[in-house]
Parts: sequence; C-alpha cells; structure tokens
Amino acid sequence: MIRFELNGHIVETDDAPDTPLLWVVRDTFKLKGSKYGCGAGLCGACTMHLDGQAVRTCVLPVSAVAGKTITTIEGLGTPEAPHPLQAVWAEQGVPQCGYCQSGQIMSAAALLESNPAPSDEQVEQAMAGNICRCGCYPRIKQAILTAAAELAVEVTA
Amino acid sequence: MSTANLSRRGFLKTSGIVGGGLVVGFSLNGCSAGPVPLKSVASAWAPNAFVQITPDNVMRFYCPRDEMGQGVTTGLATLVAEDLDVSPERLLIELAGPHPDYNNPAFGAQGTGGSTSVKAHYTQLRQVGADVRQVLLQAAAQDLGVPIDSLDTDDGHIVHGDDRLPYGRFVATAAGLEIGGGAALKPPSAFKHIGREFPRLDALAKSTGTAQFGIDVDVPGMEHAVVVRCPVAGGTVKRFESEAARAMPGVTAVVQISSGVAVVAQKYWQAKQAAGKLEVEWTSPQLADVSSADMRAEYALALEDAGDTAHSEGDLEAGFTSAQTVIEQDYWAPYLSHSPMEPMNAVVHVREGEADVWSGTQGIGIAQGLVARYAGLDVENVRAHATYLGGGFGRRATLTHIIEATEVSVATGKPIHLLWSREDDIRHGVFRPASLVRIRTGVDDEGRLTAWQARRVGGNITPYTLKAALPGVLPSLGDGTVDWLVGVAHGAFDGWVVDSSGVEGLHEDLDVANVAVEHVTRENGLPLTFWRSVGHSYTAFAKETALDELAVQAGIDPIELRLRNTGGKPRLQGVIREAGARMQQMQPAPGRSLGFAAHSSFDTDVAEVAEVSVEGGRIRVHKVLCVVDCGIAVNPDVVRAQMEGAIMFGLTAALHGEHTLENGAVVQSNFHDYPILRMNEAPEVEVVIIESAEEPTGVGEPGLPPIAPAVANAVYAATGQRLRSLPLRLA
Ligand code: FES
Ligand code: FES
Repeated sequence: MIRFELNGHIVETDDAPDTPLLWVVRDTFKLKGSKYGCGAGLCGACTMHLDGQAVRTCVLPVSAVAGKTITTIEGLGTPEAPHPLQAVWAEQGVPQCGYCQSGQIMSAAALLESNPAPSDEQVEQAMAGNICRCGCYPRIKQAILTAAAELAVEVTA
Repeated sequence: MSTANLSRRGFLKTSGIVGGGLVVGFSLNGCSAGPVPLKSVASAWAPNAFVQITPDNVMRFYCPRDEMGQGVTTGLATLVAEDLDVSPERLLIELAGPHPDYNNPAFGAQGTGGSTSVKAHYTQLRQVGADVRQVLLQAAAQDLGVPIDSLDTDDGHIVHGDDRLPYGRFVATAAGLEIGGGAALKPPSAFKHIGREFPRLDALAKSTGTAQFGIDVDVPGMEHAVVVRCPVAGGTVKRFESEAARAMPGVTAVVQISSGVAVVAQKYWQAKQAAGKLEVEWTSPQLADVSSADMRAEYALALEDAGDTAHSEGDLEAGFTSAQTVIEQDYWAPYLSHSPMEPMNAVVHVREGEADVWSGTQGIGIAQGLVARYAGLDVENVRAHATYLGGGFGRRATLTHIIEATEVSVATGKPIHLLWSREDDIRHGVFRPASLVRIRTGVDDEGRLTAWQARRVGGNITPYTLKAALPGVLPSLGDGTVDWLVGVAHGAFDGWVVDSSGVEGLHEDLDVANVAVEHVTRENGLPLTFWRSVGHSYTAFAKETALDELAVQAGIDPIELRLRNTGGKPRLQGVIREAGARMQQMQPAPGRSLGFAAHSSFDTDVAEVAEVSVEGGRIRVHKVLCVVDCGIAVNPDVVRAQMEGAIMFGLTAALHGEHTLENGAVVQSNFHDYPILRMNEAPEVEVVIIESAEEPTGVGEPGLPPIAPAVANAVYAATGQRLRSLPLRLA
C-alpha cells in the first residue's frame, strides 16, 4: 500500500509501485483533469504539484510520492472557485482544444509560487516543457503575466 | 439539408413536450432517420434538433460540429443565439450525437473539417434561431392575450411593456403550435452577438480540467486495451507468442484483431506493460521496400514525367517566349503526422444487440457506423456519444482506433477503453503526404506573369480517406465493395483524373493567361489524409517562395508582383495591400529580416509577414503579422486565436516537422525526434481582421499556408540562402 495526500485527502493505493503517478490518479482515483500526452516527460500534459513543485507524473513512479503531497488541476481550483490563473485563462480565451491546459496551468501556478513577478524570458523558460499543439503560447504567456500582475496588486492592497 | 429546404419544411407540424424519459425530436429533413439523440430533460421543449428549452428557461444548443479547439461550439452557438435573441453565454452547449439533422450542409454528411463549419451553418442556424423565436412570440401572444406585434424579445425573454418574461414560461404553449419557418433574419446592423468579442464558451471548463475528452471516459466494468501493431503500415500478424504477456498482473485477455494484437488489462498501465512482453511476427508489406532517401530521389525523377493535367489554359510555350525573366525550381515537403496532444482513443461497449461508443471524432456518424459494422449491429442500435477532441487537424477523421476498440469489446464482451501511445500516434497514423513541386514561371518587363507551370509529385489522399470513411458511412457495404471502390479511386487518380487535394492552391490565386498544373502520382502504401490546410500546406510554400524568387530575379518588389498578378481575387489583394503597407512600417531590430507571403484557402485570404533572425545557423521567428479576410468575423477573438494557432502549427512544420521512413517504418517516435514548437520559440503574433459585410468563411486552416514561405523568404533576405525544402534548414 502506498499512501499520500491527494488534493487534501489522504489516499492509499495497491497499484504496483512502479506505476506512474499519472495513471494512479487517472485510473485508480478517477481524477481525469491531468492528461497523458507523451509518457516520456516531454510535453507536460501530466503536470501536477509534488510538495508544491511542478513534476511530470507520466514518468514519476507512485512509490516516489509515498508520504508526500500531490495537487492536481482539480485541487488547484474549480469552475465555481477558480484559481486566479484559471480565471484569467477563461477571461482571455486561452484554451483551444484544451487538452494541454491542465498541465500548462499547473506549471504556471508552480512558477508564480516560486517567482511571483516573472519576466517574459522567465515565463518562456519555465513553460518550455509544456507543449501546446494548438499553439496557444502567446495567450498562455499573456495570461501568466496578467495573473502575476493581478496577484501583485492583491498582495499590496 | 439546404436552407431553402429548412424554411419550406411543411412536415414539421408541432413538436411535443416530453416529461422525463424518452425525448422525441423531429427530423428536419423528413427522412426516417429515427429520433434525434437529445438529452432527456423533464418538460423540455425541443422544436428541432438544435434547441431545447425548459420551463425554467434553461436553453441548450446541440452543436452539430465537433469541437477540436477551433471554437466551433462558440461560433455556432453565436449564430443560433443571434436570431433566437439570447446571449450565447446563456446557452448550455451539448455536443450532438449522430443524426442526419446534424449533417454538415457542405458535405451532406456529419463531418467536421475543411474549415467549413461557420460558413456552411451560417444561414441555417440563424434561421433555426429566428423560427424558434417566432414561435415563442406566438405562444406568448396567445398566453398573454395580446397582439403579437405588441411583443418583443431580449436576451432570452419576451418583452411586453415593462415585463420581461423568460422564454421558458411559454414553452408549454409553444409546443402545441405549428412552426411556420422562414421567419425574417436580423439585418447585420441589428447584430448583438455576431461580431462581438467574447471569450470562447468552453474556456473555463478547459481551464479547470472539467472538459471531458474521449480519454477521460470511464464506465463501470471498463477494461483497458493496448494494441501492438506492425512497424510497417499494411503488415499483418503472422503469428504471436502471448504467454509472457498473459502472465503479467491485471491482464484479462490477449486478442488478435485486424490491426495487430491487443492486450487487455484492468488498468491502462498494466496493459501497456504487458504489451511490451508480446512477441509478434509480421508479414512484410509493399511499403517495407521504401526508405525516405530513395523516395526523394525517385520523386525528383518523376518530375521529368509530364503527368496528368489538372488545369490548363492558354499557350504555355508562347507565354515563356514572351517572358523577360524565367525561373524554375523544385520545392519539397516531407510526411507529417498531426500529433494532436490527445492521442487516439475510444471507449466501446458491445452487448447483445446494442452498443455504445464514446470518442472525440471529426465524424460521430462514422464512429457509429464503424461500431455497427464491426459488431454486426444495426446502426440504430449503436449509441454514439461525442466528447471534446484534444486536437483534430484532420487526424480524427480516420477512426481505426474505434474499429480496434469494437473488435476487442466483441472478443471480450466488456467495455473497452483503448488508448494509443504517443509512439503509436507518430508511427501508425495517417500522414500529410510528402510532396515535390516544380514551379516554372516567367514574368514580362511590366511585372505580369506570362506563364505559370506547376507540377506536383506525390500521393493522393482521397483513396485513403475513402477507405477510412466508407465502412462507417455505409456500414452495410461489404468489405469487397469497399476495397473495390478504393481500388477504383487509386486507379482513377493515377492516370485519369487528378485528386484536387494534391494540387489545390498551386495556381488559383494567380491571374495568368498561360497556365498548366500537372500531377504525377507516386504511392507506396503509407496511409495519407487531410492535415491542417491539406494541399495548401505545401502548395503555398512552393507558390509563394517561387514568386519571391521571381521578384528578386526580375528586380520587382515582391508585393507589387503579387498585386499585379492577383487581379481575379480582390479580397486577396486587400490583405496583400494591408499587410504590405504594415510591412513598410515594421522596423525590424538589427539582425532581423522580414519575409512576406499571401495565400487564399478555404475561401479565406491571408497575408503574413515574418520577422526572422538567423543566429548560429538557427532560424528564429520573432514576430508574425497576419492580415486575414474571412468575411464577417463571427467572433473576432476566436478568429485571432485560430490565426495564432495555425501560425504555430505551421511553424512546427516549417522549422522542425519531418517524418522519415526506413524500410517502410516511421523513424520518429515521440516529441524528442518529432519536436513541436515550444513557448520559447513562439513568435509574438499580431492579427489584423479586415472589416467585411460578406458572409463568413472558414478560419481553422487558412492561417497556416503562408507562414512557411513567409519565414523562408525572410531567411533569404537575412542570409541570401534560398531554402526550398521543408523543414527549413540552413546549409
Ligand atoms: S505526458 Fe507526461 S510529459 Fe508528456
Ligand atoms: S490547447 Fe490544444 S494542445 Fe494546447
């Protein structure tokens, strides 16, 4: 049995320890927001937070998260109570097909946690691991910068 | 179904209210297609296949086209909402199931592609909205006992004096009324939503992980299947050894299916691991003799054939004789996969006498037909449930994965979730054909083209798309007949008629007296299909690079050269002029150069300017200006997003994209060797939409064709190197 915290709940699984976290979350815990894109750590569609850090869960064995804290897109915010990034994403019409966006937002959220006021280049570097085949990059970048600015106003206000 | 047909429909008398349980919709086209697959909503009124309104004023719109990111749910909802007089934001969007009422008027079948949706449904869905509004007004007049012309509507409400009464209040009465049809449409000056900019309607669901894609479908008792396929397309199973796979944890079955061998397990990861233990021996198909290096040489030889004539006008040789400057060059484009971010998948559950299928497709009717065919069922006993598509780009019109899932469900009797890996997607898909195009052209001393000859060598997509679609469109057609028809198509396109998708875009933009477009077919068995912008994805590269070369050689301004030779296309000239003027104003930073290209595709005209630098042999695209004329921009924000997306998609092809074959097998396998453009390479994009009062034309694809030549022309300006092969690589 491997036990960890998933979006604020303690969960347990008897999936094989080498099963990538992505599949445990999707198939065992039925949270479908995190996506499979490449299975090789190359696209970022499966990004979740492990103790607050963005990780590629398609190549992360579930055994590695025993006792740790995992947050998925579902744990970040909901349609009723979206995370500021999710709200800006919707207002600025960022997604096209939408498939990559959970991963994009999880990477962006981790970036803003560690660097609340990133430069253009820092955004590009932090997001370079997330592929968007639909090519939403200009909007993703803009949305991150907007959310950072809004959060900064909130902090000072 | 034509618009005329819709407004004249006399057979659609009244439409009943249905309390819970079965919902019966009425077919608009009067054929015996069975009930429209609407959601069962208590007491809802469904006057047609598209709109469903409840007494508490919940309004659903059943979107007839597939949402693959192009924003079609937002666009089509806006059309119906405009004349129904309700904000599109108020509509709940449902993805329509299979039914002839949802046919694409451009195809007469239920398919999404070819940048057709908004154009083809523009009048139809507005008419649907107007007719429903008209009946609601009649019902309100009756209920309130007032003359109809004392009533108006506003945002989902009937307005009577100071009262605003929700539409839903009148659905019970409306259900008993006759729908006359033919209600007047709003004049464009009265538009409240068409042309209004608002964020796409699915954005929040897609930002919170709550939008459902095919891969997310999870039904009770479901098991997971992974298929091992022959590395070379067309190869079949000779024999296989499955003992080791069967011994793996969670494995419940190993079955041979038409495309290979499927391993079924309780969970995906178990199936995936076990599939790695299979040993399969394959037959060796014709494609096994093909390697990319030889293929390109063979195409070059084939260019010397005269080929089949696709189009011919005037006297080519006389045209060349009167030319001042003549150029002749060859332009190459490789095989490409679509690689949408969501790999192919389907959930299929076949039971005694019935089946369900869930998948994101570009033709849910084809999905339904394929399940019926491979499960031996009647089409009406297959329920097909549409989901969002994690990208389409033409890929999700070929539904082999649905056949596979059906075969596995038939063999196991279980609901089957079948998923392709990224490697499967890149190696076993259907491809944008490789293509070699020769352009020979001449210009006189006034900058007029005197002759234009274009010859393309490559495969034809139509026989392959027929082979993919026919079994689903006509499930009762025998395999032998399908093979025969596909064979006829292959034969016809090699020597009789030219498959227009192979040569589209090679000359249509140009106003030249002496033209010849020729085609030489070369096939090897690698399956081919539509890929975002289809033939235009390589013909624009050839045409627009050749024009740039000709301009340089003849000493003419490249924009002037285009303007002088596109007289037949005023809209195209409009975007060329606008982008040309803006290009004059652009001030590229030192070390950066500009390149221009313009192309018309799917009735939409686009000109692009790329600002490029070359650093250490690497091409960097910093900025792209895009000017588009797509008639009325139904939602300018979605139009801009489509231009941005098509430019990025086109840049992946221009800078990185290439599939090569070695002994018939695709060499590339994942995003490390089939790289997709990333944010740190993505240019800033400025989109300018030309104001227009003309009916809308498509926007999903037309932004793509100009980008590769715009970048190549900028690279020439920067370095003097003329790049004629995609992806663009400096010497
Ligand atoms: S699916 Fe994990 S990085 Fe692509
Ligand atoms: S929105 Fe489609 S892949 Fe990013």
